[in-house]
This record gives sequence, structure tokens and C-alpha cells, in this order.
Amino acid sequence: MPSKRLDQARPFLTLIVVVAAWLIIPVVVKTFTRAGFFELQAPLNVAASYARDLQEYWSLRLHTNDELIEASRDLSRLNAQYEVAAQQNAGLQAEIERLQELLKLPAYAEYHSEHARVVRRDFSGWWQRIVIRKGRNYGIPVGAPVIFSGGVVGHVTEVYAYTSVVELISNPGVRLAGVVEGETQPISYQGGINPTFGNPRGVIEFVPLNVFANASAPKRLVTSGLGGVYPPGLTIGTVVKVEPSTDGLFKTGEVELDPRLSSLTEVTVLVPLNPE
Amino acid sequence: MLRPFVTFLTLLVLWVLVAQVNHLLAETQVYLFIGGLFVAYAALALPLRDGLAAVLLGGLLFDSGAPVPFGTHALLFAAVHAIVFNIRDRLPRDETVARVIVALLANLGLFLALSFALIGRGPAPGTAWPRLIIDLACSQVFLALLAPWFFALQSRALVLTGAERDNLA
Repeated sequence: MPSKRLDQARPFLTLIVVVAAWLIIPVVVKTFTRAGFFELQAPLNVAASYARDLQEYWSLRLHTNDELIEASRDLSRLNAQYEVAAQQNAGLQAEIERLQELLKLPAYAEYHSEHARVVRRDFSGWWQRIVIRKGRNYGIPVGAPVIFSGGVVGHVTEVYAYTSVVELISNPGVRLAGVVEGETQPISYQGGINPTFGNPRGVIEFVPLNVFANASAPKRLVTSGLGGVYPPGLTIGTVVKVEPSTDGLFKTGEVELDPRLSSLTEVTVLVPLNPE
Repeated sequence: MLRPFVTFLTLLVLWVLVAQVNHLLAETQVYLFIGGLFVAYAALALPLRDGLAAVLLGGLLFDSGAPVPFGTHALLFAAVHAIVFNIRDRLPRDETVARVIVALLANLGLFLALSFALIGRGPAPGTAWPRLIIDLACSQVFLALLAPWFFALQSRALVLTGAERDNLA
């Protein structure tokens, strides 16, 4: 009878031994194992993303010559617009540098852009992350901000040999400082409302009482530059609701994020030129 | 040694497939979780040590790609494995339907355990539940459809590699 009981308890005794062993394993070993398992999957994920690119290439090959000529014409127009914008930017940059010199202001952090394809999107109700196809091989550092044409994507949290993990601003744990466009007081943004079949949203706190916004008169929320991760002026989302908080000292509200965040295929990592 | 390794390889195949499906579903904000499928076959058909080793490796696969303390999935999977292993002699464990039901129940338990552990991170935990419930429902349907194929894959993989010649408990 006791041996039968022991036999029945064997799975749980083994479990206790496993848990105890896991608790005493040094952190270094765990970190190494985690990286090892991630690197084990990386080639499979990257191969799948190359297969998707190939699929896209072959679908593009099906376009007619007329469609290609049309696209080429549109692209030429866009290029002309960008050339004008680049010239204006150069002028503004020179003006900023002149004023910084004149007023002895500290210079903005400088970055170089590293464009990367999205290998995998991992959007659960628990976390929101993407894996990109560049890592240590392109000098991507942990903490680097990641952007796209619609504004902020998130920041790099893990860097591996040739892939990196980016935590999105729609991730429940993400907090960053922003300002409502045209205002100066920083407010706190937190991501984390990601309804099924809906746009990702976040919440804002410590909104000054003089800020008003609603769905019919939304306001743009941009990065404040505080905290040192994101450069100032990048779009976070659109403030669609603000209401007085329970303490009456500030307001709280909701921010609608860019719906394209859920279908990103390419992003840009801002790699600091002079990391501190 | 061969049996846990072969089982782990089948789990790796499953993990890659589901990661691709989740990549495609990201636009709709639907996420499929199939942790129960990582545990069911190993707990019902393999000896204790082999099954546990395969389940732990499968859990570590989940852990490496998730922003949770490393080992969370592995230990949760091991706990579910211990429970299922303990009751498996009372189940018709050679029948596919029974295996699918065990996988569904294990998945339900794992999903809820992870949800309760992780939901506090968000700004409004109450608003996260509708999303999680839809994810759970989709995951269970997907798992029920996929499980018979996956169990067959695991059985065939063990036979093809000669791992089935070892003594099964």
C-alpha cells in the first residue's frame, strides 16, 4: 500500500525536485539558456519571413506593365516632393544648429536609421512584441527607439545575433512621457488596451486641466523627449477622450494608436550615434 | 534520450507553425495559445522522465520568446504534466478523443493561470478580459482541430525514429 501511494506521488515528487532545481540554477545559466532557445528558433522565423518576401515578390511579378509605369510615375512625384522636403529639412537643421550655438543649448541626441523587416508579430492580450531581422550584426543596441511612417513603434528590449525583439507602445507594461501637440506639460502614457478586431489604444494620466479633446476634436500626442529614449516630436497616437480624474487635480484619457501598428512589415531603428 | 528529443522536435515544428498563424492573425488582434497541446501527448503516452523532459524543453521554447520570468511556462507545463500523468491510468488515453479533451482542459488551465499572472500589467485589467476570452475561445477551437493531426505526427515521429522500441510505461 505505501509503495502504491509513493508511486502515485511520484509525478509530484519529481515536479518538486524540478522546481527546486530550477530555483537554485544560477541566473547566468538561465540567461544563456534563454538566448540559446531564442537563437534556436531565429533561423526558422527568419526563413519564414524570407518565404513571405518571396511570395510577395512573385505576386508583384503578376502586375501588368501599365500598372508598373503608373506606379513608377507616382513614385517620381513622391521623390520630387521628398527632395523639396529634404532641402527644407537641411535649412531647418542649419537654423537649429545656429540657434544652439548662439544660445549655448545642449544638442539633441543624434541617431542613424537602420531599416529592418518584421520577422514575427506576437500580439497577445498579455504582451505586444515584434521580432525584426536585424540584431548585433547591425549594431542594434538594447533600448533603441523604433519608429515607422506613422510615429513611434516601441523600443528594442532584446538583441540577438541577427534578430531583435521590439516591445510595442501598445504593450500593457509600456510607459512613456508625451505631450499634447501645442502644449508644454508632459503627461504619462501607458499602452495596453488591445481589443479584438479593433485599434490598439492606450491611456494617459496627469493631463493638465486646460487640455480638451474628444472623438470629434482629437489632439495629437507626441513624444516629449524626456527620459532619453525617444527623440521629441514623434507621434504616439491621437487623444480621443479626456475626463477629470478622481482626485480632480489632473485629467485622464484615452489615446488611439495607429491601426497600422498591427500590420507592420518594416520599421526603422534609431541607433544613437553617441550612446552615453 | 531519443524519445524526449524527438518529441521536442515535433513541439518545435508546432511552435513554428503556430507562430506563423499568430503573425498572420496579428492584424485582427487575435492570438492563439496552444500550451495544452505541448503537454497532452507527453503526459498521456510517454514515461514520466521522458515526458517531463520534453514538456520542460517545450516550455522553455515558449519562455524564450515571451516577456515573462524565464521558466514560467516550463514550470506551469511541468505542473500540468504531473497532474495529467497522475490520472492518466483512469483515462482511455489511447483514444484520440480523450487526448483532445485532456489537451483542451490543460490549455484552459494554462491560459487562465497565465492570464491571472499577467493581467495586472495593463492600465485597465477589466477591459482586457473580453479580448482574453475571445483569444481563449479561438485557441480552443484551433487546438481541437489541430490536435488529432499533431498527436498522429508525434506518434509517427517516434515510430519513424525508432524511439518507440524503448519500453513505454
